[in-house]
Amino acid sequence: MTTTENAAESPRAIAWRRRRASIAKTWHEFASQKPGLIGLICLGVTVLAALLMPVLSDESGLDVTKATGGPLNPPSAQYWLGTDIDGRSVLLMTLWGTRVSLLVGFSATLLSVLIGTLIGITAAHFGGWVSAILLRFTDFFLVLPSLVLAIALSAVMRQGIGTIIVAIGVTAWPSTARLVRAQTLTIESRPYIERAKALGGGHLHIVGKHVLPGVMPLVLANTTLVVGNSIIADATLSFLGVGDPNAVSWGAMLETALNNGAVSKGAWWNLLPPGIAIVLVVLFFTLVGRGLETVLNPRLKGQRS
Amino acid sequence: MNPLLELKNLGVSYRTGGGEVTAVRGVDLRLDPGGTLGVAGESGSGKSTMAMSVLRLLPRSARVTGEILLDGEDVTTMRWGRLRAVRWAEASVVFQGAMHALNPVRRVGEQIAEPLRLHPPEKGKAPTDAEVDAKVAELLAQVDLPPSRAGAYPHELSGGQKQRVMIAMALACSPRLIIADEPTTALDVIVQAQVLALLSRLVAEQDIGLIMISHDLSVLAATCERIAVMYDGEIVEERPGAELMSAPRHEHSRALAAAFPTVGDPASRFAPATSTPLPPEPENRETPGGTPLLAAKDLRVSFRDRTGKRIHAVAGVDLAVHRDEIVALVGQSGSGKTTLARTLLGLQRPDSGQVSYDGDPVPSGGQGLRAYRRQVQLVLQDPASALNPAHTVYEAVAEGPRIHGLADERATVLKALEAAELRPPEKFLGRLPHELSGGQRQRVVIAGALALAPSVLVADEPVASLDASVRGEVLALLLRLRRRLGLAALVITHDLGLAWNIADRVAVMYRGELVETGTVEQVLLDPHHDYTKSLLAALPGGTAPRTAAGK
Repeated sequence: MTTTENAAESPRAIAWRRRRASIAKTWHEFASQKPGLIGLICLGVTVLAALLMPVLSDESGLDVTKATGGPLNPPSAQYWLGTDIDGRSVLLMTLWGTRVSLLVGFSATLLSVLIGTLIGITAAHFGGWVSAILLRFTDFFLVLPSLVLAIALSAVMRQGIGTIIVAIGVTAWPSTARLVRAQTLTIESRPYIERAKALGGGHLHIVGKHVLPGVMPLVLANTTLVVGNSIIADATLSFLGVGDPNAVSWGAMLETALNNGAVSKGAWWNLLPPGIAIVLVVLFFTLVGRGLETVLNPRLKGQRS
Repeated sequence: MNPLLELKNLGVSYRTGGGEVTAVRGVDLRLDPGGTLGVAGESGSGKSTMAMSVLRLLPRSARVTGEILLDGEDVTTMRWGRLRAVRWAEASVVFQGAMHALNPVRRVGEQIAEPLRLHPPEKGKAPTDAEVDAKVAELLAQVDLPPSRAGAYPHELSGGQKQRVMIAMALACSPRLIIADEPTTALDVIVQAQVLALLSRLVAEQDIGLIMISHDLSVLAATCERIAVMYDGEIVEERPGAELMSAPRHEHSRALAAAFPTVGDPASRFAPATSTPLPPEPENRETPGGTPLLAAKDLRVSFRDRTGKRIHAVAGVDLAVHRDEIVALVGQSGSGKTTLARTLLGLQRPDSGQVSYDGDPVPSGGQGLRAYRRQVQLVLQDPASALNPAHTVYEAVAEGPRIHGLADERATVLKALEAAELRPPEKFLGRLPHELSGGQRQRVVIAGALALAPSVLVADEPVASLDASVRGEVLALLLRLRRRLGLAALVITHDLGLAWNIADRVAVMYRGELVETGTVEQVLLDPHHDYTKSLLAALPGGTAPRTAAGK
């Protein structure tokens, strides 16, 4: 150990060095898994492309009134993936659709993970009737058909991206809550929690210092998997027509294609690109999520030092 | 006479990520038929590795050199089929943790029958069910269990009963050698005495050779003719048991022998085995009296079990701990001593009765309880799990001061580490628990308690999971803290030797009640209650070693 020569360091600096070292170790373990690394690189490229879209291309191409191509033109040199019923470039629309999908995916995940972690930790930490009530509440959401609930929510709220995010967020949290509760129970049974109590630590101290850092890795791994689900849910809702009618998203593209007879006219180029895009982005998230889970979930890890 | 087992220049090394690690080196041992041999040593000394190598039960990463002659036949070169025949039929094992070595979902009768079916007494002919059942009943009777227990599942048996089942399994195929790996470690003193007596009687009756492994020399001395002490993979001393116990030659055997003091031996009174001298008793030490620092009055705690029946874990306890004294709370597991400690600390609500600190009742919540917790601190049994594995030593020790918002955190932490004899304290600040040894971890836990400058420590089995040599040091630390700082302590233990080592007073707990309380000398040398007497009688050091039979 190299701690001896660093004896003069302040404890806070030592703690930070520890954290950096453990992050570096986690990264090293993650990077040693090919699928996870490939997923992360592809995901990085996708996110970067989505962010740079306004710089790389012209947004006016998405406007129906300014469309230059004919309706449902097959792929050609000018329109690599053909045009839709309004004469817009499918390639351009697919690329722009990434922005909405990622935005909804990340925001809805953040919301659902926040709710799930809060409820999971509260239920496990306090136990008793608090736990009983929260768990029944979780069970209720678990058995509720989430798609139906999301449609109902979108119907009563103002149509738009915000509504979709809320609809997905409030329906996707039960599984996270269950996972977090199980992990919290394991941590709370350790003697060091008893020691913290004997030292005089209150609920806030125990949850903040011992439980939360313990469940965070699991939550993080879970988060990346939830993002993929949220993107699918977003596409489903848009496809069903409850999304924002003005935003260009993959779900909305599929809906337009179906409603305007692109399917019956054999215009496959209107269907495949958004579909494949959904599959790819969800695949990237799943690869990263599985990779993180292998590194961070103590149960999947062979042995810990 | 041909030896039953002979180890010649045995060496075992494990291939690990960081190269070869030698666990056993150059061991020569000899066991005659019907002989008994004890192997003592601390964890990591290679004693279990050596014993398991006899049946080639080592993991794949182990490399064995030298010869292991079982009845003249070398085990290391045996073919697989022959080895299978030898396992259990010639030599069998009583594994360490009886609770883990039994399959929880099968009845114990079936588990005892397993070796009988694998090694049929008549070659090639599988025994009938009736024959197997009869044999299982006979084996259970041999280990003093009623045959009806064959239908029980392991969780329905007590620790001692499970260990008896393990012994019955080991006897199933009438082996000539039994290897017992820490057979009594997790058991209470009284049960331990029963299991040891049973094991000794059976090997003597059936003329079986016995190799017993333990970290407790007094256990070995009670059952074995000869004792070998292992240290760092080598045998440092091998002599007849009584001789080794009374006059150990090697420095390490001395440490092992001193770690388990004989109750009543004046040399070990207030003298735990430590390498640094203890400070003398302060001259003006007050005789305990006046208002006790920590007191329980008619304390009662009960739980509901699964069937809804009330179980009185603590049934009306009056206990007092005065300033500047160490009180040992002694009792078997299940006697309610840990529940009593948790109630004293305010971690468990009593049904009735009262805990008071310095004359005032302890509040059950809020600021009052927080203030109380600065005064009374807890030291847990297993230091490995009492520290958050992700927190450095600094963070672990600073946890208390942070909770109570004490000023000058760093100085407090350094002072506490220094008081817990982790020197130099700066060296430990950045370490994580897994980088420390067991004894160092326990010191960190003690330092974490000392950081709040408490006036009472409640220590729940503080040395039960520590090695012999570390044990003495941690006990000496508690004694030094009392002598230097006047720190009172309530030490919960099942070990009467510990009480003799450091305590001023002893309280004996039995089935939720204190049956006897008094000074150490009164209670341990002149016990009045039957339970205290049976506890003392069960001490392995107190029983005479088995006389050499069949020689």
